[in-house]
Amino acid sequence: MHNIHRIGYRFAFALVMLFCANLTYAEQPQVQVIVNNNVNVTTLSESSVRWIFSMRQTTWQDGSAIKVYVLSKQTPAHQHFCKNVLSMFPYQLERMWNKLAYSGLGEKPILVSDSQEMLNMISQEPGAIGYVFSTSLPPGAHAVRIVKEG
Amino acid sequence: MNRAVIIFSFFIFYFAHSPRSLASDIVWHGFGAQGIIQSSDSNFINDTGDASLRLTEVGLNTSYRINQKLRVSAQGMYINGGNRFDEGLRLDYLFLDYQLLNTQSWNVNAHLGRYKNYHWLYSATRDVPHTMPSIVLPQSSYFDAFRDVSLGSDGISLTAQHLNGLGEWDVRWSYGSSHIKYEQTENLMSQLATGELDHDFDTQFSVSFTPLGSGLSLGMSLLRTDFSYKPGDNDVFIKGKAKLGRVMLSLSYSAEYWDINAEAMREKTEFKGFFRDGRDADSISEGLYVQGRVFVHPDVTLLARFDTFDANRDDRNGTKFQQNSGDTIPAYFAYRDQLTLGASWDFSANWRVRAEYHKIAGRARLAPVFIPDTVINDSKYWDIWALQIIYWF
Repeated sequence: MHNIHRIGYRFAFALVMLFCANLTYAEQPQVQVIVNNNVNVTTLSESSVRWIFSMRQTTWQDGSAIKVYVLSKQTPAHQHFCKNVLSMFPYQLERMWNKLAYSGLGEKPILVSDSQEMLNMISQEPGAIGYVFSTSLPPGAHAVRIVKEG
Repeated sequence: MNRAVIIFSFFIFYFAHSPRSLASDIVWHGFGAQGIIQSSDSNFINDTGDASLRLTEVGLNTSYRINQKLRVSAQGMYINGGNRFDEGLRLDYLFLDYQLLNTQSWNVNAHLGRYKNYHWLYSATRDVPHTMPSIVLPQSSYFDAFRDVSLGSDGISLTAQHLNGLGEWDVRWSYGSSHIKYEQTENLMSQLATGELDHDFDTQFSVSFTPLGSGLSLGMSLLRTDFSYKPGDNDVFIKGKAKLGRVMLSLSYSAEYWDINAEAMREKTEFKGFFRDGRDADSISEGLYVQGRVFVHPDVTLLARFDTFDANRDDRNGTKFQQNSGDTIPAYFAYRDQLTLGASWDFSANWRVRAEYHKIAGRARLAPVFIPDTVINDSKYWDIWALQIIYWF
């Protein structure tokens, strides 16, 4: 009898743990892709974002230059962005950028030191695109909705 | 002395300028690496077999955007690899990049000038140590004595990238030629070659495909190139032409904590002239490497690779090769199987230290190729170890 109680308690405890784990997962901060207000884009497909961040698309549809801003590969925001928005691993993106920068094919994105600098640059630089963990955005920037494919 | 001056100027330049932009349209990048390497039982690094510091690579590059469609890119470098390549300064690339088309699904560019070889997995940044998986690359595909010719050419190159419902496509084509210095001729043919080896032309075409969200990338590349030789005084070689064609297949798979890269090649070489004894040196050679890496920690990578090469697929163990040489060149110069184990550690931002060990059976693709050094290379088995520190910005 005692045993059944013990098992019951353990089972209940496990359920609570599972629920908590699920809660923590649900409350994980979301990364949002942000652009300067002069960029006339409100939605982008996942592969379009990957196309832009792998530096293959360098101009917006109106012909103006795209300026790509990124955080360092060690930051949680960059890792989260790579895995959940681009469906890539940070090292793959870095390999692509290195190939561009050290063989003359293109340019690396511009590295900023933290999310505050990211927000400043995106809101000030025309054509800028970047990402931050969900936060209130300064007046010069707006978020882009990402459409998942498949 | 030369090396010290270059390394010094590199650091002066670095500390005098911010790594990023001077003006918003000019971008600078650079790298420097110094290592120690030893191959005690071969002439791969030096003739003495002693540990050597002749493992230096220093480079500086710039990209200047003239307007949204036009850009100039250039990289200068200094390399010292002992016997592997001729030491010195060189202009790695210098070209005008014109963007023909840039949309949400197409990116098409033309390069005019000294362009890089973008066709193989590691050819575009072969001399940039932090972008390479190991200090010594798999020699089946990345033959050191052929480095300068396969690195890039003076001519025109077109690259197109396309995104569609299936995935991402990369298509590239190039046509050009490169200048072969005497040291390289010597490296390829031997010191007994006193004439001039010319690279007549080189054309390459490649396609690679990355299915959406798969982590997989598959590639194929084709190469056709011609060389001609004008003999010098007291030359053991005679006037001749060599035609070379190569087909390569590549595969890359990237997972979160490991990746696999592999390239297979088949190379057909046809000679007219060249050899005084009129020997039949035509051959079809084959090579394959498979490389696995494990990212055991965000800053630590372990590497294992197997690389195999047969100089003539109709004579994989070199028996005929040895007979044709009148028993002067051992059969083990006709093949090469190489096992590599390595580790690298990014101990600080933009700093890496790495070490590797190679165990090798056979001595094909060991310079000089036409008349190999059978005195130093007197056994089938040999090894290489190397340690390197790298900085980049």
